[in-house]
Amino acid sequence: MVARITAGLRTFSQNLRFWSILYLLMFPTVVGMVVFDYYPKIDVIIMSFFRWEPPTLMEYIGLGNFIDAASDPLFWQSFQLILILLVTNLLKMWPAIFAAVALHRIVNQTHRYIYQVLFVVPMVVPGLVWLLIWKSFYDPDFGILNRFLNATGMMTVLTWMDGTFDAPGVMPRIAATLNPLFDGFVNPVFGNIWGFLVFGAILASLASRGAPQEGRTTANLWMLSVPALWTVAFLTGVAGTAAGFLTVFGISIFLLYKLAVIAGGFWVLWFIWISSLCALFFSKPVYITVLPLVGILVVEVLYRRLEYFTARESARWVAWILLTAASFLVVFGMIWTHPTGQFVEGSPAWLGNTDLVIPAIIFWGFPWVGTIGVLIYLSGLQQISQDVYEAAELDGVGPIGMLFRIELPLMMTQVRINLIFMTIGTLTTYEFFLLLLGPDGGPGNKGMVPGLYMYKRAFEDGHFGYACALGMVLFFIVLGLTIIYNKYVRVEK
Amino acid sequence: MSTKRRSKTAEFLKHGYLWFILGTAFYPLFVMVVVSFKTNEQYQLNPWFFDAIHTWQWQNWAVAWNIVSTYIANSIVTSVAAVIFSLIMTVLTSYVLARYRFPGRNVVYYSVIASMFLPSTAATLVTLFALLENLNLINSLWALIIVGAAGGQVVGIFILKQFIEDIPKELFESAQIDGAGHLSQIRHIVLPMSGGILSTVAIMKFLGVWNNVILPLVIMRDDEKFTVPVGLLYLEGEYVKQWGEMMAGYAIASVPLIVLFLFTMRLFVKGLAAGAVKG
Repeated sequence: MVARITAGLRTFSQNLRFWSILYLLMFPTVVGMVVFDYYPKIDVIIMSFFRWEPPTLMEYIGLGNFIDAASDPLFWQSFQLILILLVTNLLKMWPAIFAAVALHRIVNQTHRYIYQVLFVVPMVVPGLVWLLIWKSFYDPDFGILNRFLNATGMMTVLTWMDGTFDAPGVMPRIAATLNPLFDGFVNPVFGNIWGFLVFGAILASLASRGAPQEGRTTANLWMLSVPALWTVAFLTGVAGTAAGFLTVFGISIFLLYKLAVIAGGFWVLWFIWISSLCALFFSKPVYITVLPLVGILVVEVLYRRLEYFTARESARWVAWILLTAASFLVVFGMIWTHPTGQFVEGSPAWLGNTDLVIPAIIFWGFPWVGTIGVLIYLSGLQQISQDVYEAAELDGVGPIGMLFRIELPLMMTQVRINLIFMTIGTLTTYEFFLLLLGPDGGPGNKGMVPGLYMYKRAFEDGHFGYACALGMVLFFIVLGLTIIYNKYVRVEK
Repeated sequence: MSTKRRSKTAEFLKHGYLWFILGTAFYPLFVMVVVSFKTNEQYQLNPWFFDAIHTWQWQNWAVAWNIVSTYIANSIVTSVAAVIFSLIMTVLTSYVLARYRFPGRNVVYYSVIASMFLPSTAATLVTLFALLENLNLINSLWALIIVGAAGGQVVGIFILKQFIEDIPKELFESAQIDGAGHLSQIRHIVLPMSGGILSTVAIMKFLGVWNNVILPLVIMRDDEKFTVPVGLLYLEGEYVKQWGEMMAGYAIASVPLIVLFLFTMRLFVKGLAAGAVKG
């Protein structure tokens, strides 16, 4: 304060001298930040408009890179992997949540501290060492995984499930049996299996909305606006051009933002993101609008016919039944459709086979408990006051009831924070895939994520400008997510 | 009686679950140590546990040390230098931002914060690489030091600024009256009081620079300039794998951080928890 008052009394030139010292003290940080943080990020924007292939070629081509990107099959294929990873990572969050709750419930302070320290230790071993050791587990001949499967007889089970090329095992035969269900029911009604899944997700999200209030119709309209926009864009061919695609994408981010303000509710956003992405990549254009419309109609009819709480409960049941059925169909009807022929000899090459790469990546890092994640959950749990527990105990809530009625709801903020980290991390991380599978993403580019594709285009193929354009597309997706999430998380606090 | 028994099962379940998680999480480290004492043949025969002690292959560790020691030296130099530079910059900036209002202050402060929210994708690596090439920093440890020191000061500045704002103004003012300049105020007031926070920030920075893989992988060309992660990666990529030597190399490469951890355990746990709360 005094500094400010005395500063006010000084003449301007004295001020200038005083300030210049302050500027001098901040100089290293500012220069470092501008040169090594902001400049590369801004350069990405500029260079995405250039055909830039160092050391010789550098010419302005306008939106050329983006037009190429819109029709680059490998780039869009990499987002399919992202979707699979998002879903599996969502499931992989649970072990850490349970671990945090178990840690929180340990009464003995000393034990708790010891556990906490033990949970920090994995941070101390360099990440690359973990990665390389895990990679050694997957080695076909030496790896612990295959040795373990052989020693416990699980390899025989896998062989039984897989079969050989001449005599398919159980899983491919189940898939073949389910095939008529796809042709006769799923495809004609929902477009394809993803449409089915999306429909369930939409119902689930609608069923988790708060009590009916005024303006629900408005919210419904806003909700429909995004899919409708995309349908129109696809049918008119606007989305086929880069400029059109980006415009539509920008508008939908704006609309989703408005929706977040109007409707609120985290699950709405989460499911809409998943469903719009799914719809974008898997479904026929018309279904993008039809499915949400039918979903909204179903829920509205339920609300009109039944009393609110019954309606909400039944909508939820319908949604979960649909989701389970759809997941069942995906798991048993789409993944293991033909024998891999890898298990018969007892040494499957997990990272070297087109069919086994993705399962290997998903199983990677078992039991999927990260230090930071556990500590974030724990910080949330520690804020729960003892009174809540005591009140619940008086009401006769058991330990499992405590988990679902008290701990999970009260640590939702932390779960959301981790969810945000997880989503953005899944979208942008590529180091893991590069180090594990190489710049081509392993056999058949199966492990290609968007970040890795950028790396490959730049450092393998020498197309720096194109990589920058891909970076811009990814950047806008992540930025949109961040804005919406931030808006939402702040509202919650 | 019944509640007692139920709580015992509950205790058992909790501890059992945590031990299961920790056991599986630590299993890779166990495998690393076991295999590091084996030849390839021994690994093939028995991957599960140690062999008789007289068959242990101690020379694996000697070979690995010869390979990895250079990498460790490089990593230590880079990380320590980056941490020192970064701390100096962080302290100076947070001191200025915390204590004074002047034109441009908010611009600086908010651009520091904003850089956290602008995600860097793989594409920023492309332009950063081009920038380093123009600055003639390819294949030089300086590139790692500078980028390590300049990048990601956000959290440090954010925490330290708040901490300095909480230091009573009178302390600074009396020092000023005694004729202390900015630097001596920092030395005699800020540094002694913020020791704990500074070391936490330093440890986090150290971990970040030490574990950085991609940047050194892209810019380093000469074997003798590799940092630990890149060195290990090349070690693993050799055509005929000597598993024992590789695992010994991994183990040796983990030692520096483990030593650091043993000396700073409390700070570490606290710092991670604090970082977690900040999100």
